Formats: sequence, structure tokens, C-alpha cells
Amino acid sequence: MSHCLESSPKDIRQAEMVIALAGNPNSGKTTIFNALTGLRQKIGNYPGVTVEKKTGRCALPDGRQVTIIDLPGTYSLISRSPDEQVAMEVLRGLRADTPAPDVVVAVVDASNLQRNLYLVSQLIELGRPMVVALNMVDVAERRGAPVSAGRSEERLGVPVVAVVGHRREGIAELKAAMGRARVAPMPEWGLPEAMAGEVERIAAEVRSGTAPSPSTLGEGGGEGLLDGRGGALTHPSPGVPGEGDQWSVVAERLLIGDEAGDLDRVLEVPGVWEAVAGARERLLASGVDPVQADIEAHYRWIDEVARGAEQRGSSTRGETGGVVRLEYAPVRTWSDRVDSVLIHRVWGLVIFAGIMASLFVALFWVAEPLMGGIEDGIAALGAVVSGWLPAGPVHDLVSDGIFAGVGAVVVFVPQIALLFLFLGVLEDSGYLARAAFLMDRLLRGVGLHGKSFIPLLSSFACAIPGIMATRTIEDRRDRLATIMVAPFMSCAARLPVYILLIGTFFATWGALGQAGMMLGLYGLGIVAAAVTACIFRKSMLKGQGSPFILELPGYKVPQVGQVLRTVWVNTREFLVRAGTIIFCFSVILWAMSYYPRLPEERTSAIAVAAEAHAQEVLDSFVAAHRDVRHTGWHWEMDSVYDDALLSYIAAEQLRYSISGRIGSAMEPVIRPLGYDWKMGVGLLSAFAAREVFVSTMGIVYSVGEADEQSSSLREAMQRDRYADGSPVWTTPVALSLLVWFVLAMQCMSTLVVVRRETGTWKWPVLMLVYMTGLAYVVALGVYQVGVRIG
Amino acid sequence: MSQVTLDAAAYRVVTPEECEACEFAEVCTLNLLGVGRCGRVLAVGGDPSVRRRLMEMGFCNAAHVEVVRRAPLGDPIEFRLRGYYLSLRHDQARHIRIQPVLS
Repeated sequence: MSHCLESSPKDIRQAEMVIALAGNPNSGKTTIFNALTGLRQKIGNYPGVTVEKKTGRCALPDGRQVTIIDLPGTYSLISRSPDEQVAMEVLRGLRADTPAPDVVVAVVDASNLQRNLYLVSQLIELGRPMVVALNMVDVAERRGAPVSAGRSEERLGVPVVAVVGHRREGIAELKAAMGRARVAPMPEWGLPEAMAGEVERIAAEVRSGTAPSPSTLGEGGGEGLLDGRGGALTHPSPGVPGEGDQWSVVAERLLIGDEAGDLDRVLEVPGVWEAVAGARERLLASGVDPVQADIEAHYRWIDEVARGAEQRGSSTRGETGGVVRLEYAPVRTWSDRVDSVLIHRVWGLVIFAGIMASLFVALFWVAEPLMGGIEDGIAALGAVVSGWLPAGPVHDLVSDGIFAGVGAVVVFVPQIALLFLFLGVLEDSGYLARAAFLMDRLLRGVGLHGKSFIPLLSSFACAIPGIMATRTIEDRRDRLATIMVAPFMSCAARLPVYILLIGTFFATWGALGQAGMMLGLYGLGIVAAAVTACIFRKSMLKGQGSPFILELPGYKVPQVGQVLRTVWVNTREFLVRAGTIIFCFSVILWAMSYYPRLPEERTSAIAVAAEAHAQEVLDSFVAAHRDVRHTGWHWEMDSVYDDALLSYIAAEQLRYSISGRIGSAMEPVIRPLGYDWKMGVGLLSAFAAREVFVSTMGIVYSVGEADEQSSSLREAMQRDRYADGSPVWTTPVALSLLVWFVLAMQCMSTLVVVRRETGTWKWPVLMLVYMTGLAYVVALGVYQVGVRIG
Repeated sequence: MSQVTLDAAAYRVVTPEECEACEFAEVCTLNLLGVGRCGRVLAVGGDPSVRRRLMEMGFCNAAHVEVVRRAPLGDPIEFRLRGYYLSLRHDQARHIRIQPVLS
């Protein structure tokens, strides 16, 4: 029943062979994928899930063009994570967005043969034409357990090619072998007798019922579950196993509780569900657990194959309770020696601290000048472009809306690129797993995972790279919990606000007191994160404490090309996917502070007031600088006067705009926290980025361009009085606002990235509501208590 | 040996000395084994899906397991199994019943 590819109904395949690379995590699958496809890759996402979809093209020696899919790494076809689910669904042809593969290339780490063969044993049951790529044969040899491709081929009955992915050895042979791919003969698993009997009984039930024909079992990709049984693609394979085998496989999967989508239709067949339930009950009653029996049978077969595949007698036969095992002579590799230092109880922690410190320094300080340069560059470009336009709304849209919006997106690029550079090196080298191993105990206490550490640390620089870094966490609940608390880490954008408020209202505390205050704000964020992580894990993200089964792969030297590819792909994805939305929001926020314009009839009145204000500013300036007249003095006076005039009008315009009106309308709500409408406008504008609060304060206080160190802004804030003469800014107000900035979710870029990473608006909306709610309650408490105790 | 459920052993890091003392115990849970000691897998219990994954990772068929080290903070624990390394928390390791063997 070998089928003709050209006659395939799906036009997506365009008569082209689709080859899927499947393998365990750390088996070197991606290295082989890169070696096969070079730069002819496309990287996107599987619709509906945040799992990376990597496809590429490659030419076989016979001239055929094939599509290669690099599946997410998986330990088993009975999936536990979204990544594994996708790999399973593609392999079974259950995804409408991805064609079922014509050939499966099983990538096997030869230095970790047994566990890698477990997936192979499941891939054999899949019944698709297969090739095995025996990767890292060099490592296996160094470990004293060399593996022979030739003998493995004899045992498995499918082409086996020895490969050293990072040196591109065996890649040409692998391409040639793809044309020879064939369906593996079904092994005798040697299930316990009782179980084998039940499997046959269920298979008979499925067959006799109005079961869907084997070739239509699979949905999605157009090809059926069993349709791939075409034998070798180039020439008919002798001894293609009959369909009987496939019904047995289906029955076995039903019995062990495989919940893959293709089985749903089988379970709907009358009588099947009852037959499975009855069989399971009978087996359990007689002391046979189908799941355990199945896995043990697979591993017994693996022991056979592995023993046959090894070249030398480094393995010894041992009989234990009738079970033949393989025992490795404990060869101490350099990887083991590295580990005895890198995860040593003292040195390990010291080195870990050093690596994390350099990551933090890179994100915090190295990225800083790059970000400044990008912002300035884009602003300068905006000034040039808008300079060609006449003054008016279009001019302002281009310079303050569009170019500032582009800047708001591109400004994140240095941090994201640096983060993925670090992550790429750490992951490729194998250190990322060690970092999780070292930190797990610390984070487990609050229901997080060892792998949550790097995302949270990165979030101190910026939550956006931090949230993107949670991709390394496999478990969905661990990942969501980490995402949800990451924005509590005080990011670099909060720093200007902290400096402005602490420097202005806690000046009497001295340097040490101010530093302590700053530390306290960081601490508050950490405490809030720990508490909310606990709450999330006990409510929405509750679960049988997600298991921590972490492989510690052998150390490898990271490959420059692979790391740079990761950096490029992730940065590009951020710009395209999240960047466009962030840009739109920036333009909307700009428009809200720009429109409506002040009406004609009010401009004259404002102009009079502005002139009076400007004259006042000029007078005080002249009084202050009486002694330092020099050439160009009148130029300076002119500019002081003009700045004061323009900033007064800008403040009036902002007050008249939608943002200003919302700020005023918000006043009753934020009044209990001690804020007036100006701060309300500031909080709204901070949605573009938290540090914008400072420049907005500069506008509403008519001091023109201001940063957190501007003494003119600080004085204006301290001078500000309500109508009754009481000061607007008091210590409780400043404290309350600081607490607000630590806790509130007011960064639309973060929300957009959370939407992007979680796939729904549910999580960002929840984040906005609970963080801002928490900020409101705590800031309210701080202000009210502060006012009462003075 | 189906549906194995093991008692929730109290969280406690056992010193190698203590482990030495129970060397001849017939059965022990994996979290209690001292660093450097070995055992053979007898049974895996706990949450069904975690149990399945542990067996799929190779904790089955009397596989030989060695305790390589504990993390600096005492947990998780690193094991060597079927020629590779993996780490488990106490909470998972205590669901794996082993027979200690002399290394």
C-alpha cells in the first residue's frame, strides 16, 4: 500500500517530501537541522500555542527538494508539555497547520543511547518510514561506549547514519539515507502474556466495530495515522507489516491511557471504551499495571538493541531478577570534572553569582548607551524628516507620534539581543540546566522553578527580555507563574522615577538613607513577587507541584553560528510580532495627549497668561544671573523667555487633551492616594514607558525638557500648592507614589509581550488588574497611615 | 507491583553516615540514599503522569542509579542513570523505591 506522493490531495505539500526531525532534548537535533538546511530556514509559531515552528529546505543527492521540520525536543510521544504535544501531533499528522511527515528522522544521542532509544521505540510504533541519525558518536567513543551504526541498522531494520552534527560529519550520508527511509519492522515487545491477550482482545473489538478505516484515523494534516506506512519511498519495501500490527498498536495505546487526539475517534466506536476499561481492570486485579508493563517491555527491547549496537565490551551482562541490564563502566569525562567545580557547593555558587552578575551588568549597563544611542538616533532622524514638513498636526504626528513610536520599540533591541546572546551560550553549553539545579531550592519555596531565576533577574533590567526568557521553562504553570510576577522586579525604567522622588522629597535623609530607601523599593517588589507567586500557585495555577525532572546534559562548546541565529531570530520576532502592537499603542498614547487642540477663542487668553508667566521666569532668571553677564547674554535671555512661553502653552495643551481630561476625571479616584490631576496625567503617560512620568511632570510644571536630576522640576514640584495653600507634594504623597510605581502594572509593552507569550489577552488583562489593584490598596494604606502619623 | 503508593517520607537530608547505617535495608526511597551510593529501581509511585515520565526516563527494570550530588541548598539531587545525568527534587525522588547496593 505504498502511496504516491504526487497524488496527495494536500496542495500544501506541492508534491514535495516532508521530513520531520524528532529526538530528545539535547540530542543535537537543531545542530543537524542547521547543517541540513543552512540558511534556508523559516521560523515562526504553531498557531494557538507559543511553540517555535522551525522549517527549512534542503536538496537530496538525487536532486529532490524536501521540506524539513525541526520538531521540539521530546522524551516521549505521551506528551507532558505544550512543546512535546506539538511534536507528537505533527508526528501523528494531527495538526491542520503542518503536513504529516513522509519520513521521520530520529536523532539519537549515541552517548546516551538507552534513554534516546525509548523515543525511537515509540517512533517505530508510529509506522512511518524512518531514518536514525546517530549523533555525537565521537562523545560516545570518548565515554568508552562506542556505538556502531552498521550494527544498529541490523537491529532496527531502518537506515542508521553516524553523525557528528557540529562538525557536519555524516550530513551528506544522512541526506542520502533519507531516500532509503523505510518502515521499521515491528519488534516483539514481549509484553506480559495477560497484557498481550488483552491487547489482542481490544484490537479485535476496534476492528470489528464500525471503526474508521485505518487510513482515515488521523485528522488534521490530511494524512491518516496509518497512512504513512508506505515502506521505502524509492522502492517498495519487502515485508511491510500488515494492518494487524497497527490495530495492536492502537489497542496498546488505548490500554496505557495515551490521550492523543487520533484515539478519540476510536474510543467513540461502540464497545471500545468498555473493552479498554474492562481490560485495564482485569490486568490491575491480576497485578499487571499496563503502563509499567509497556515501558518495561520497551526498555527490555532497548537493552537488547543497545547491547547489540555497542562496539566494544564496555558493557557487562548482569542478571537481576531475570532482567538483562546494561551497566556502564563509570568513565570520568571532562564534563564530570567540570561539574565537580561548576556545581560545587561553594565554588558552584561563587561562579554562578559571577555569571549572573555579568548577565545583569550586560543588560543594565552595557545595553544602556546602546539604548540611548538608538533613542537619540531615531529622534534625530525624526527631526530631520519632520523638518521637511510644515508645522502642524502632520509634523507633530511624524516627529512625536511615529518616530517616537518606532523608538519605543527599537529601544528594547539591545537588551533583547544581549539576553538571547547569554541564553544561547548558557543553553548550548549546558550551563542553563545547572543554573536551574543550583537555584531550584530557593525558588521552589514560592512555587517557582529553578529556571525562573534568569527571567526574574533579567526583569530587574526590563520585564520584556525577562518575560521572553521564560521560554526556557517547559512546564506551563511554572512559566505562567514566572511571567505573572516578573514585572514586580523594579526595572531600569522605574529608576528615574525613584531618583526624582527620593532626591526631591527625601533629600534630608542623606546618601545612606536614600540608598536604603532605594533598596527597600527593590525589596518590596521582590516580596510582592514571592507572595503573588505563592497565591497563583495555590489558586489559578494550582497543580500537583509540577515535577522537576531536569536532565543535566554533558557540557559542550557553544557554536557561534547557532547562538547568533538564536539572537537574530528572537530579536526579529520581537520587532515583527510585539513591536508592531507596541508601536500602535505608542501612537495612540501620543494622540491622546495631543488631541483635542486648544480652541482658537482660548488661545489669546492663554497667550496673555503665558507671556506673563514667561516674563516672571525671565525676571527671576535675570535676578539670579545679574553678575555673570557675558557676550551672548541677550541670546540666553531670549531662549529662557521662549522656553517658558512654550512650556506654559504645552502644559495648557496637555491639560486640554484627552489625557489631561482623563487625568482630571481620575482625580476623585486617586485623591485618596494623595495624588492630584497632574500626577494622574503622569501615571497615564507612564503607560508608554514608566520613565515618561518624569518628562510629563516637566510638561505639566511648565519647566520644559526635564529629567530626574532637573532642579527646576524639583523646585516646581516642591512649590506647588493646592488652592487652600497646602503643598501638593508631601512625604506621604511621595511615598505612596513610590509604592505605586513598584507595584502597579503600567507598561503597555510588557502587556503586549505577555499577550504574545501566553497566546491570549486573558493573562495580560489579569496582570493589569491585579497588579494595579494591589498597588492601589498598598499606596492607599501608605498615604492614609502617612498622613495620620504626619 | 501496580499502583504503588509510598508514604510521604518527611523531607530530610540524610547524611552519608546515616545511610551507611541502613546499608542493608531491603528497601529505601531514592531521596534517602546518601551521595555516592547506588541502588536498583524496584518501583515508582506517585502522581500517574509523573510516574509514567520517570519510568520513561529509565527508572524501570531494576535500573542502576547512583546518587551523584545534592545541590548546594540540599535539594534537588543529581542522579546517574543509564549512562546519563538527571536531577529530581526530594519530592519526586521519594516516589522511587530502590534496593540499595554496594557500589
